[in-house]
Amino acid sequence: MKSVLRERTLRGPAFAIALIVVLMSLAMLVAGTSPLDGFAALFYGALGGRTEIGETLVATSALLFPALGICLAFRAGLFNIGAEGQLLVGALFAGAVGAQIHLPGVLGIVLLLGLGMLGGGLWGAIAGWMKAQFNANEIIATLMLNFVAAALALGLVSGPLKGPLATGAETAWLDPSYWLPTLLPQTRLSIGIVLALALAVFLNWLLKDTIFGYDLRATGEAPEAARRSGINVPRMTWFTLALSGAVAGLGGAVIVTGELHRFNTQLSPGYGFTAIAVALVGDLEPLWICVAAFGFGILEAGGLAMQASAQVPKDAIHIIEGLIILVLAARRYALRDTGVNAP
Amino acid sequence: MNGVPALELRGIRKTFPGVVAVDGADLDIFPGEIHALVGENGAGKSTLAAIAFGEVAPDAGTVEVRGSVGLVHQHFELVGRLRVWENVLLGREPRRGWRIDEAAAHRRVVEIAQRNGLAIDPDAFVETLPIGVQQRVELLRELDREPSVLLLDEPTAALAPAEIASFFETIANLARRGTAVLIVTHKLQEVIDYASRVSVMRHGAIVARMETAATNVDEIARAMVGGELPVIAERAPTQPAPAVALRDVRVPDAAVPLRGVSFEVRGGEIVGIAGVEGNGQSTLADAIAGMIAHDGTIDAPPARGIIPQDRQREALVMPWSIVDNAILGRQHAPGARKRAREDAQQIVERFDVRAASLDVAVRTLSGGNQQKVVVGRALIDRPPFVLAYNPTRGIDVGAAALVQSRLMEARNAGAAVLLISFELDEILALADRVLVMYRGEIVGETAGAAIDRVAIGRMMAGAR
Amino acid sequence: MTAAILTFVVLALIKATPLIYAALGGVISERSGVVNIGLEGMMATGAFTAVSVSFATQSPLLGLLAGILAGACIGLVLAIAATRFKVDQIVAGTGINLICAGGAAYGLVLIYNQPGASAQVPALGGNYWLLVVLAFAAAAVLSWTLAHTPWGLRVRACGENPRAVAAAGLDPLAFRTAAVVISGALAGLGGAFLSIGELNLYSDGMTAGRGFIALAAVIFGRWNPIGATGACLVFGAFEALQYVLQGRVAWLSSDVMQALPYVAALIALAGVTGKVRAPESDGVPY
Repeated sequence: MKSVLRERTLRGPAFAIALIVVLMSLAMLVAGTSPLDGFAALFYGALGGRTEIGETLVATSALLFPALGICLAFRAGLFNIGAEGQLLVGALFAGAVGAQIHLPGVLGIVLLLGLGMLGGGLWGAIAGWMKAQFNANEIIATLMLNFVAAALALGLVSGPLKGPLATGAETAWLDPSYWLPTLLPQTRLSIGIVLALALAVFLNWLLKDTIFGYDLRATGEAPEAARRSGINVPRMTWFTLALSGAVAGLGGAVIVTGELHRFNTQLSPGYGFTAIAVALVGDLEPLWICVAAFGFGILEAGGLAMQASAQVPKDAIHIIEGLIILVLAARRYALRDTGVNAP
Repeated sequence: MNGVPALELRGIRKTFPGVVAVDGADLDIFPGEIHALVGENGAGKSTLAAIAFGEVAPDAGTVEVRGSVGLVHQHFELVGRLRVWENVLLGREPRRGWRIDEAAAHRRVVEIAQRNGLAIDPDAFVETLPIGVQQRVELLRELDREPSVLLLDEPTAALAPAEIASFFETIANLARRGTAVLIVTHKLQEVIDYASRVSVMRHGAIVARMETAATNVDEIARAMVGGELPVIAERAPTQPAPAVALRDVRVPDAAVPLRGVSFEVRGGEIVGIAGVEGNGQSTLADAIAGMIAHDGTIDAPPARGIIPQDRQREALVMPWSIVDNAILGRQHAPGARKRAREDAQQIVERFDVRAASLDVAVRTLSGGNQQKVVVGRALIDRPPFVLAYNPTRGIDVGAAALVQSRLMEARNAGAAVLLISFELDEILALADRVLVMYRGEIVGETAGAAIDRVAIGRMMAGAR
Repeated sequence: MTAAILTFVVLALIKATPLIYAALGGVISERSGVVNIGLEGMMATGAFTAVSVSFATQSPLLGLLAGILAGACIGLVLAIAATRFKVDQIVAGTGINLICAGGAAYGLVLIYNQPGASAQVPALGGNYWLLVVLAFAAAAVLSWTLAHTPWGLRVRACGENPRAVAAAGLDPLAFRTAAVVISGALAGLGGAFLSIGELNLYSDGMTAGRGFIALAAVIFGRWNPIGATGACLVFGAFEALQYVLQGRVAWLSSDVMQALPYVAALIALAGVTGKVRAPESDGVPY
């Protein structure tokens, strides 16, 4: 099972956005609301005020990290469905350690974010190693690891790691010195989003302007030619999956230190899966993914408001996300080896 | 010829995105004749055959068939993991109730094979068979349907010279029984020896029709190219010096194992390895290129230019530009990326790559130009050792001549050139010494004046 | 002691049954050349539809049939995407999973006015055993069909080299479509077993990755119906193990033990290191 996504043009994202609008209008009509009212509720719920904008950007940031990770994997010819689990493990590492140990100021924050990358990276590396060593299908592997992560997290956080004052399955609150500074006062938005955007710029540079990026893209677009050009494809495979996981894990740590200030198992309403749509709509280009993440952030944050005032259930958004992915799959398969002029 | 044609093509036109493959072609094939269709790579022969078979629909023109058409493809369309009888009878399986009647299937395959003078084991898995025998399977599949027209696309490409004669005997028998046979080929001598008429295709149209008894190889070649054939660089005198040595190289567990290969390639000479496809050439090339592990020793300079046999899969990243592809294989050298554009410029200039710019995707180039990029990249740093594996496969005559010239020029300048090719003509034109490979071993060596096509042909089939 | 073993075996069979249906669907789809990542979504759709139709008609049998049909319809979507639009089959399957999950969640709100779980509905009751036996029968039938019938031969050829099928004058896309629709129907049947066979309701996320465990079973079983069934029995046993071990092994909390079947699938994946070969044209659009 191999897939390489190529043929990236901007017509794809534009088409996707148009499709989103059409589908959402349909959903609204089905629910008995006029699309105008529905979209109004959506945008007001997403951008109508300081709190709302804050929530939208929080969702944007939460989506951006795993989407960037998934993008990296895709560009190397790998499909990382495990961003959800990698995110969770990264958040778990950050939350668990943060609740137990106290380090001063910036050092502490850096430590927790680093732990997030470590946790997510580890989780990605397991699948990466399985693929590199055993040619195990990374789709099944990363997905299985999602469930393992969920089970582990639940088990740990209901038991040994449970916070002393916690009512549910969660750790203790982090010491405020660990909280990421708020970016927008009186909202939950932390500087995590700045970190995400910086990461996007960094990954863009990495892919386009470095030899590592050259090798990574070659592995994804022409694996046999890449192998013969001296690239160690198995090593690139596991390293990319580890890196992909680390980026997602960093996102988990940001959620823990920036928004929630503790770890619980409900911290992600499926960000790792929505991020697949974000990566595809963003044409697998880090900078465009930022834009796509903002769009989906609006959907996530405004969706609740849309549900309340326009009676369109939030789950309709997941259906639409799935349709986006399905439609973009149609634009994406490019036969790996053939050229237009075959002779 | 008189009589009613079994196959009539009129005014066929076919365009693929960006390429006009067939541009107004007319063709008649009569029952009982063996008709050859020639033309250089990219002239449209295979497309025309696919249209005649019905695999591809023409944009314009008519196809009239009296009876049915069978096609044996250049690259066989067989299912390797199924057995011979399953491949031959796919879609026409004899039944007993709901299940396939395997005994009847066996009998049927043996019967068709015998009727055409071929030997085959119905139960063998196709992927275990040598390529020459696999072709037989595809042939039987088509013959089982008793077509009135049989098309064969490059049928002797994977046959040893000895097998070619018996292949054409089978075909002659078919023709005698009334089948109209069309052979798409680039082997002009075979056209003269075995076909009765030849049609020459150039740029998608039939430009000449000749009786083979009244023409010769050079005339046909000139019609194919539309003028004089390009000449390749001259062989210059050199002082060969030791450069590359293989000693008892063995790869026991490859698809075609290597059983102890030893030879030398000296700087200033071209050593050609002749052989039918499937006798270990790929294993040898991979071992020399360092792609697979091997026993024995290979002494070669680390700086080397490698031209793999499958440019689209092994040498290029198709959606990338010429600039990006220019450093593929050398990207880890310090400063490589900065030099990429400059290198690409040099490659395009010195290897006559026709491209709109350095930034176009390599995928948009013709096969010949793609190959020139690959060859240019391999030779641009003037490496002391060059490994060229089927360097002119599937490209037009002009590009092929350029590639061969550059290889000769590298040799003249002192490089050790190892040329592995399935085209005996290419080896004979370029090599100073010829080695013959058979079943993973070198079975013979000739040099200079002693190079004899007939003897080499015998060695290619296993004689020593 | 024997009672415990018997309980374990029975439980393993029950847990294996939905996996077997989904895995057989995976086998037929992949042998024809289409990777069906959407098995999970097709199971969820089958599970949800079976419950909802049973709710509406008060007939679990109609629910079962509806579940199969619903799975087949989703299979048709993937089939069209794969054959007519020649999409990246894996991405398409992922999209289908999301659509089905979202659709089921949406449906829960629409029909039952409560997120998370449906109302309790008439279920198969004691008859669910028939479905368990049927699963094994289906495996045998599929195995025989692939090996000995003309249709089976042609489907296998499609998965290895569809151009050979075309050269023989047949339409590979038609076979692939049929195979994928059948795989959807089988997955839907597996899902229906989950919701109205084992239980009598649908809850959010009840398929819990079984569609993917089934894929691991396909690989572990070497794309062979009997092999895949065997693998499903192993995974089913691991799932059953959870219940048997509960409370007996102190340091393994029940939450962590939920990971058992997935870990088993991971180990299985690693274990068939390069010793297996997928159908040659698996996942390649024709």
